[in-house]
Amino acid sequence: MQIIKDGAIVEDPFVHVADGVELPASGDVIVSLDRYLAQREALKRREGRVGVRLRSDQEAKLAAPYVAELPVIAVEFPGFKDGRGYTTGRLLRERFGYAGQLRAVGDVLRDQLFYMRRCGFDAFELKSGKDVQGALQAFQEFTVTYQGAADDQRPLFRRRASAHH
Amino acid sequence: MDWKSSIALSLCLTQSEKMSKQQLKWIVTGNFTADGAVAYLQAENRFSRQLVDALVFENKEDAEAARKAAAGREALVTDPYVTEVADADKQLDVLTARERIRSQGPSTPYGRLSPTPRVV
Amino acid sequence: MYQYDEYDRRIVAERAKQFEGQVERRYSGEITESEFKPLRLQNGLYMQLHAYMLRVAIPYGTLSSKQLRKLAHIARTYDRNYGHFTTRQNLQYNWPKLDDVPKILQELASVEMHAIQTSGNCVRNVTSDHLAGVAPDELEDPRPWAEIIRQWSTFHPEFAALPRKFKIAVGATPGVDRAAIAYHDIGVRLIENEAGERGFEVLAGGGMGRTPYIGQVVGKFVAKEDLLSYIEAILRVYNTYGRRDNLYKARIKILVNALGVEAFRERVEEEWEQIKDGPLKLEQAEIERVARHFAPPPYEKLPDGKPQLDALRLGKDRELARFVRNNVLAHKQPGYAAVIVSLKQKGIPPGDMSDEQMDAFADLADRFGFGELRVTHTQNLVLPDVRASDVPALHAELVKLGLATPNHNKLTDLIACPGLDYCALANARSIPVALELMERFEDIDYQSDLGELNVKISGCINACGHHHVGHIGILGIDKGGEEFYQIMLGGSAGYDASLGEFLGKALSVTDIVPGVSKVLNCYLGLRTSPEDRFIDVVRRVGLAPFKEAVYGPPTMRQGVAHADH
Repeated sequence: MQIIKDGAIVEDPFVHVADGVELPASGDVIVSLDRYLAQREALKRREGRVGVRLRSDQEAKLAAPYVAELPVIAVEFPGFKDGRGYTTGRLLRERFGYAGQLRAVGDVLRDQLFYMRRCGFDAFELKSGKDVQGALQAFQEFTVTYQGAADDQRPLFRRRASAHH
Repeated sequence: MDWKSSIALSLCLTQSEKMSKQQLKWIVTGNFTADGAVAYLQAENRFSRQLVDALVFENKEDAEAARKAAAGREALVTDPYVTEVADADKQLDVLTARERIRSQGPSTPYGRLSPTPRVV
Repeated sequence: MYQYDEYDRRIVAERAKQFEGQVERRYSGEITESEFKPLRLQNGLYMQLHAYMLRVAIPYGTLSSKQLRKLAHIARTYDRNYGHFTTRQNLQYNWPKLDDVPKILQELASVEMHAIQTSGNCVRNVTSDHLAGVAPDELEDPRPWAEIIRQWSTFHPEFAALPRKFKIAVGATPGVDRAAIAYHDIGVRLIENEAGERGFEVLAGGGMGRTPYIGQVVGKFVAKEDLLSYIEAILRVYNTYGRRDNLYKARIKILVNALGVEAFRERVEEEWEQIKDGPLKLEQAEIERVARHFAPPPYEKLPDGKPQLDALRLGKDRELARFVRNNVLAHKQPGYAAVIVSLKQKGIPPGDMSDEQMDAFADLADRFGFGELRVTHTQNLVLPDVRASDVPALHAELVKLGLATPNHNKLTDLIACPGLDYCALANARSIPVALELMERFEDIDYQSDLGELNVKISGCINACGHHHVGHIGILGIDKGGEEFYQIMLGGSAGYDASLGEFLGKALSVTDIVPGVSKVLNCYLGLRTSPEDRFIDVVRRVGLAPFKEAVYGPPTMRQGVAHADH
């Protein structure tokens, strides 16, 4: 399927596999964190990369011990009103040092993309039926931000200072 | 509407509610997307700003179906819903304070109410 | 007041442009109404009973005369010639058209204003003491801190979809609270400890609505440079653990009370440990940069104004005397006064101001001050820097504009939400009750005799009229589709925070004002002297005598209840 990655539309090799469904023999998959924790050794032996998916009620610290080995962490936004994923993203990046692909999935709309990117997300599965090309414009909508976040931890007052020197 | 007389109206309504229990019917109403004004579904799939134009449905199912159709026209009308009306003697009347105010506008004055400042 | 620099200007301009695009996509169907709704709410745009409503932010209630003129212009051009000041120091327009809102936002941006995050499940307008910077009883001006919090909260990406709305208030007056700080999701009080150091007492979990709570102290003494990191820790705990399953249990007050303040504090400080020494630590340069915007204006060196004002209080001009007695307040700068300008006038919904009044008042702010005015959370305005010697001339001008009602903190200085006349959430109308009270009790001598009295009227349980904290609170309810009103007594929004208690059965539209009258007569009969305030009498004697006054003696009450509908 197509996803947004680093501000462009790309083909995505990862396939979401629900709990209880058998994994394909090979290829890249995303499984629930619960499944990953239960079957970690087997998954590591499997051919193909394995990423995890966090529910909105699963905190970043649950995935923290595995950040070095996960190519993708997908964070669910079950409804656009459920903003827990923003905290999850920031903590994965800023506190636990996750350097792989951080993907927002679920009710992901154009109008959340700017905030999501600021919270450390670099990949997005846009809600189906929505204009993906148009959505890319969301990243340019603001050229100034007041507060620090995963993209730049410095609040504006620290950036102001350096801009004047 | 004068806010003092509207208080008296509020009592009349209780009586009409008692009368009209046997004659409950339904209308579809919402707000116009462009300016938020109250919208009433009228005949031929059009919307009016006046309660008196509202299309009256004899049963709730028909009203619900019409509401669903209206809900698909979000550029024109926002969040339509179904509400009960009394239709005694061909006079259409709404049944709650809320719907009465929707149909008549705020009961209290607004706008340029203050003394006009004298220009020095 | 805070002056935007290039960064601040770009932010509001880009926001206006973003909203323009969102409106287009709403019309084209690219986004549905349910997807559009949180976007328009975060630009302050509600759908109400008869029209949209736009809530313009007035950060910590401070406005310049230039901004007020723009608000008048917008009222005239895009609305119906008036605006309404709210209980969170904001301004509401009741009749904007969707297509005009992007233009309105651009007009606001041109005078360094916006409607950002005045609704929605995000951090809302940061409010403060309307006498900030001029009150003799403050430690320092709290507004620089309010501005620092405002910037931090504006478009904060992590807290854009909280479980529910989030309101913050800041104050700096020991033992006094003019900003209802104890009733906010986060209340920030600048205090001085025994060592003479200044820092913040941070409360959390206050709020009104369905389940009112008084805020509890979470941060006992937070150093100035730690303010933002501490607040961020609270928000992060709330974002993570606040309930999302039930709209009515989603505010932080529910979380604080469910965990207990000790456990809540533990979670906050555990998180805070991780971030307190990070980039959120405020730098002295930034604190000073913001504080400079709130430096005192060029006051003249004047003699003490008290003798002049005392003379006016006892003077022959009775109107002026009343005005000085009730509405003219002490100022930290000798020779100056802060003047409360009442937006509570007979026949006019409380808090409303016409475009003509706004324009004229902007001129008064220039002429009788430094071009600045304030909005109180009780729906009044303030001219904060009036020379004592100018008070008579100012009063004369206010009389011409219908803004001279000398009723500050008296019965008719009530607050009322828009209620069922406007609001889609309301169960009953509040403005007619307010108007009837203002008419019935307009006699200013009677009001002065009654003394300090805060009446607060809400049209529904959401409590935008703060009925829980009125000395007399009135709550509109819906019984069978019709409007009824409950009376509450004994609430207070000040430092002596207390929640009111319900008096008894709900009263009808025709009985509510007579009911209030009975309450007042009961108070007059019970008090030991004119200085024995209403709130003190209620706290001392309890509700029983008032119950009896309104509903009759206990044995009769059953009969009365059935006779009443």
